[in-house]
Amino acid sequence: MLSVKGLRANVGDKEILKGLDLEIGPGEVHAIMGPNGSGKSTLSHVLSGRDGYTVTAGSATFEGHDLLELEPEERAQLGLFLAFQYPVELPGVNNTYFLKAALNSLRKARGEPELDAVAFLRLIKEKLKILHLDDSLLKRAVNAGFSGGEKKRNEIFQMALLEPKFAILDETDSGLDIDALRVVAEGVNALRSPERSMIVVTHYQRLLDYIQPDYVHVLAHGRIIRSGGKELALELEEKGYGWIDAELAA
Amino acid sequence: MNAPLHSGLEYWLNAPDDGPDLAWLDERRHGARARLSARALPHSKQEAWRYTSLKSLLEQQFTAIDEPLSALQPEDLDTVLIPGFESHRLVLVNGRYAPELSMLGELPAGVRIGGLRDWLQHDPESLRGQLDAALGDSEAFFATLNSAGLDDGLVVWLERGAVLERPIELIHLSVGLDEPRVAQPRHLVHLEAGAQARLIERYVSLGEALYCTNAVMEVVLGRDAVLKHERLQMESRNAFHLSGFYLLQDENSRYSGINIGLGARWARTDLNTRFRGEQAECVLHGLYLAGDGQLLDYHLDVEHAVPNCRSEENFKGLLTGQGRAVFDGRVLVAKSAQKSDAAMSNRNLMLSEQAEIDTKPQLEIYADDVRCSHGTTVGQIEPEMLFYLRSRGIDASQARRMLCLGFAGEVIDQLGVEAVREHVAAAVGQRLT
Repeated sequence: MLSVKGLRANVGDKEILKGLDLEIGPGEVHAIMGPNGSGKSTLSHVLSGRDGYTVTAGSATFEGHDLLELEPEERAQLGLFLAFQYPVELPGVNNTYFLKAALNSLRKARGEPELDAVAFLRLIKEKLKILHLDDSLLKRAVNAGFSGGEKKRNEIFQMALLEPKFAILDETDSGLDIDALRVVAEGVNALRSPERSMIVVTHYQRLLDYIQPDYVHVLAHGRIIRSGGKELALELEEKGYGWIDAELAA
Repeated sequence: MNAPLHSGLEYWLNAPDDGPDLAWLDERRHGARARLSARALPHSKQEAWRYTSLKSLLEQQFTAIDEPLSALQPEDLDTVLIPGFESHRLVLVNGRYAPELSMLGELPAGVRIGGLRDWLQHDPESLRGQLDAALGDSEAFFATLNSAGLDDGLVVWLERGAVLERPIELIHLSVGLDEPRVAQPRHLVHLEAGAQARLIERYVSLGEALYCTNAVMEVVLGRDAVLKHERLQMESRNAFHLSGFYLLQDENSRYSGINIGLGARWARTDLNTRFRGEQAECVLHGLYLAGDGQLLDYHLDVEHAVPNCRSEENFKGLLTGQGRAVFDGRVLVAKSAQKSDAAMSNRNLMLSEQAEIDTKPQLEIYADDVRCSHGTTVGQIEPEMLFYLRSRGIDASQARRMLCLGFAGEVIDQLGVEAVREHVAAAVGQRLT
């Protein structure tokens, strides 16, 4: 589904990703773990098309499309979704209006008719329940004045509504207390399906107690240095990230 | 005999002679004219005119309209009416009150609304103390020019405790004539103690005509009076627009004004507020959108002359293409005006490299126990925000438009009538496509 080969990317003159390989099949959930500064967020951003990164080598293909050639909205229209580590506040942009614009953009790209107001509202209410969100959220501006937990839930709520084929969850657990974490994780789990793949980027093993990955990768210094099953996450939890430098030095 | 005014401006004063014959009124007109001939034209060395040149305005050689336009039919208004908006509607055509196009409807007891010219004919004495009450012997050049050419306009008078539920809609309709013409309407709004009203003032045109409006509105709010005022400047893109707004507030009165500026080629708006009773409140919101070939210039002058009043000014600007705007806001807190509360903000979103904004919020504070703040921002669309929308599948141009509308929405949402709000949102949306 997603195939990343030898990906190298810079921020300014500094190389952050240094030849990264990753293969993700349909329905698979891959956790990417690593210390701060290892390139986790850069990977999320490069895959979703954010400005400010220069890809110097390698490729990223999604269902046969060269992702790196596409605008962010084209990637989204193919079925890619990024749950932001820091969801952006959009003062003055009404949530309902935003959700409708997003959903209809995706439907249009797929050649489907726009949803009418009644069908849209019914759909929204159903998805709100999954994330234990109150429908007062719909009247507010996107993320504006939301608490940290609300913002993260709003990300997963959008994911539930937009039903992407491939989701990247960028440190969705950061800043969440245990109750909020559980709600977010339940939301994510409800969206797991044999057709939907995910990358779960996290610093801590904690999230993986709730979202059980099929594979775990350790990202360090811009490369994946180890891959394994979910037991690798437990090992990391025990050993921390200190061993990485020792191993790389060896 | 008066000396001629500079640059042919006496041609702005060729008012028809069929108006009411009132010695005191003539005296006022002549007095204003005498003050003008003694004064130089506004020029760029003056702080208030630093960023705005009169050159293009004077080049047009506008002349006063000598007779009312009678050819309009009520259906000519169809294109300018706001669907679903029910109002006490007054229409001025080229500065002259047009009762045949107006729809005043039934007014509750204690509410009088009518054309200034008629009023001066039938009940001149009631206006004697009202004309120039808020304006005073203003130094403002174009407001004085308006006084010198005083002819027609609108009078709204609410007696003590009168409450008008339905909004008053003042449509200032301009129709292009063979030569470039100027209209100088004067509006008087007087709310006596405890009276309440909503006034929606609209500047519109038939077609993209070239003309000039030089309007002055004087508002006096008595004790506890409440006025909600929305001004929609949607003139022709070839028009020149000057408007002076002069507000006097008594104790515990509330004024809230929303200024929307979308139209005109060259527009200059002066908003002046003076508190003369304590515990009064004045809130001024504004939204201007200046695009190619437009200059929109706003000057605010808020004077805290007495203690314990509150003022808030919140203006936002969207600038596209080679659009230009000026925001010059001044809050003056007099020495005796302790416990004044004043907050002024001006935020601008620049949508092109060629657009220009000159912004200058100023606080002049002579009292020592006040709460005052001012702030100004000039920025672009945040790349973060744009990326967020695009990552959800929304294409870049729609995303930009959503963010601009969101920025403008914070002002548009303050408009109190849904039909008006939608009308303005649609007009702003159209400008952003």
